[in-house]
Amino acid sequence: MYATLTGISFLVLFSVIFLSTTRFMRHQIDDSVSSEVDEIMADAPDRGVVALQAVVEALAKHPSGFFYLLQDSNGMVRAGNLPAVDPKEGVREWPQSAKGRASAFSAIRGRGINLSGAYLFVGWSTHQLLEMEEMVIRSFAWGLAASIALALAGGLVMSGRLMHRIETVSQTSRDIIGEDLQKRLPVTRAGDELDHLAGSINAMLDRIEGLMNDLRQVTTDIAHDLRTPLTRLRQRLELANRAEHDADLARTTLASAVAEIDSILAIFSSLLRIAQIESGARRQGFKEVQLSELLGTIGELYRPMADENGQVLIETIESSLWVVGERELLLLLFANLIENALRHSPRGSTIAIRASGLGRMVHVSVVDDGPGIPQEMRDKVLQRFFRLESSRTTAGSGLGLSLASAIVKVHGATLELSDAGPGLNATVRFAAA
Amino acid sequence: MRILLIEDDHETAHYISLGLRDDGHEIAVARNGREGLNRAGLEKWDLLIVDRMLPEIDGLSMVKQLRHAGAITPILFLTTLGGVDDRVMGLNAGADDYLVKPFSFSELLARVAALGRRSPRLAVETTLSIADLEIDLLARTVKRGGIAVELLPREFRLLEYLAKHTEQTVTRAMLLENVWDVHFDPNTTVVETHISRLRSKIDRGQSIPLIHTLRGAGYTLRVPV
Repeated sequence: MYATLTGISFLVLFSVIFLSTTRFMRHQIDDSVSSEVDEIMADAPDRGVVALQAVVEALAKHPSGFFYLLQDSNGMVRAGNLPAVDPKEGVREWPQSAKGRASAFSAIRGRGINLSGAYLFVGWSTHQLLEMEEMVIRSFAWGLAASIALALAGGLVMSGRLMHRIETVSQTSRDIIGEDLQKRLPVTRAGDELDHLAGSINAMLDRIEGLMNDLRQVTTDIAHDLRTPLTRLRQRLELANRAEHDADLARTTLASAVAEIDSILAIFSSLLRIAQIESGARRQGFKEVQLSELLGTIGELYRPMADENGQVLIETIESSLWVVGERELLLLLFANLIENALRHSPRGSTIAIRASGLGRMVHVSVVDDGPGIPQEMRDKVLQRFFRLESSRTTAGSGLGLSLASAIVKVHGATLELSDAGPGLNATVRFAAA
Repeated sequence: MRILLIEDDHETAHYISLGLRDDGHEIAVARNGREGLNRAGLEKWDLLIVDRMLPEIDGLSMVKQLRHAGAITPILFLTTLGGVDDRVMGLNAGADDYLVKPFSFSELLARVAALGRRSPRLAVETTLSIADLEIDLLARTVKRGGIAVELLPREFRLLEYLAKHTEQTVTRAMLLENVWDVHFDPNTTVVETHISRLRSKIDRGQSIPLIHTLRGAGYTLRVPV
């Protein structure tokens, strides 16, 4: 393909050069022949055969490169250094092809004119012209051959390298399919399209690997988090089973077993809810929501609980802040953030809900002065089931913040956890409606 | 109460009917939407309990058709968490209340009782009184033993809801839905703390407590027997 294209372009170039040079040379010959004819005519004033014969004979004696022929009407050669020819008027060249040429002198191009009772022909050897034509053809032929060979060789090398790289890519892909998800496609230093592609695929693989790890983690965590309540449930049911003579004990044991099941169901509900929110299906039902009023409701809902815990709940909420979303999800989001703050702050601490409009943004912060979350853990707490204390003794499923994170994402908002020095500052940034 | 349960799952239907019968209700079961629609139209019922997912005619269009035909029987809609808009769609279709599966039996009984008591009479009442507790719904004032009790707006709504359902069990979820318009369980003792505040304003220093906690079920406002 590559070689053919090179060949064709080479041929086009060749024809242009060949045609223009040969035309130029023929033109040159024609010009000098014409002026020689004119001179001969000028030297023979009466244009008679006798006068012309003298002029031509004189000229033919001193070889100048020109060929002359003067023949009479009977076809007899009267003067000159050429054999008799068919008296044809105008520019003529013979032999017609370079092949039929016997010697250097037999290739001639010139001009013939019919005078009264005579035919005058002046010609110039086309030897040089033919020589040049041949040279041009030969060098172009070599050039063509060489360039096609080069193109072929280059193409082979290029495609060979390309094939090699593609083969590496597919081999790596096969390795990745067969278990080794850590592998990545090689990226050369060439920075070409293939590297670009490999880079994108590698980024995709990073994402897939991350998701796979998340999934593995979640599966392990679900198993772990459900085992504990299920074990307790089993113990309680066994106890109830043995308490056959103590109806009261049996009843209370069964009641606590039901409570245990409720906590398991709550974990499932939260997981389902997160999955549902993450699917983005609820986005269709989004409308403008008065965030100020919603936060007021939340604050009002939790204030007695904070009082009971010996905590202070402060609200600094600007009026008429609007965002686009779903009221219920937003309630759930801030309920989770506030519950998180209430649960993790000691007695006597202050929890602040702040909401303000900043240009086209609405910022809502829930700030506590509790122990906070160490920097390196802040990303992790948004993951499902992650809890700071590994013993998992405090209440909560470890799903609250990941639920909050999912709700924030579906609203196109951001959730930032930062140090409130001391304490945790959870800030949600929305685009204002 | 005469209740028609339209539920295709045998296990669930059995569980619900047993519990409601124990509670003193008369209950019939329809296994699919068409049968449910027929029986709901032919007989007189005090309450319909309709599952969202039903063979032949699904719960949602069943409720719509019934309401379109002018039926005023209270309807309790049963949904699963999976269907996001089931609650909203169910209520829009004409259901009076909804319950997300799986639910506790005390929750179902409380909802059934609340729906059974619904009567137009309540809508025109402007004062409620239980023992020496008087609630003026128009002036939004409360008196206990003739002495005015200061309540925050939300506390008033809480008391109003309890008073409108006096003698009945009111669950945490019912209070969250009707007083705060919150349709999820915050998983904490939020409702309990609100109730104890209200109790301290209404019952403190009174010889007869009116607000009672029913362990594992909810709350009730009544004169103790």
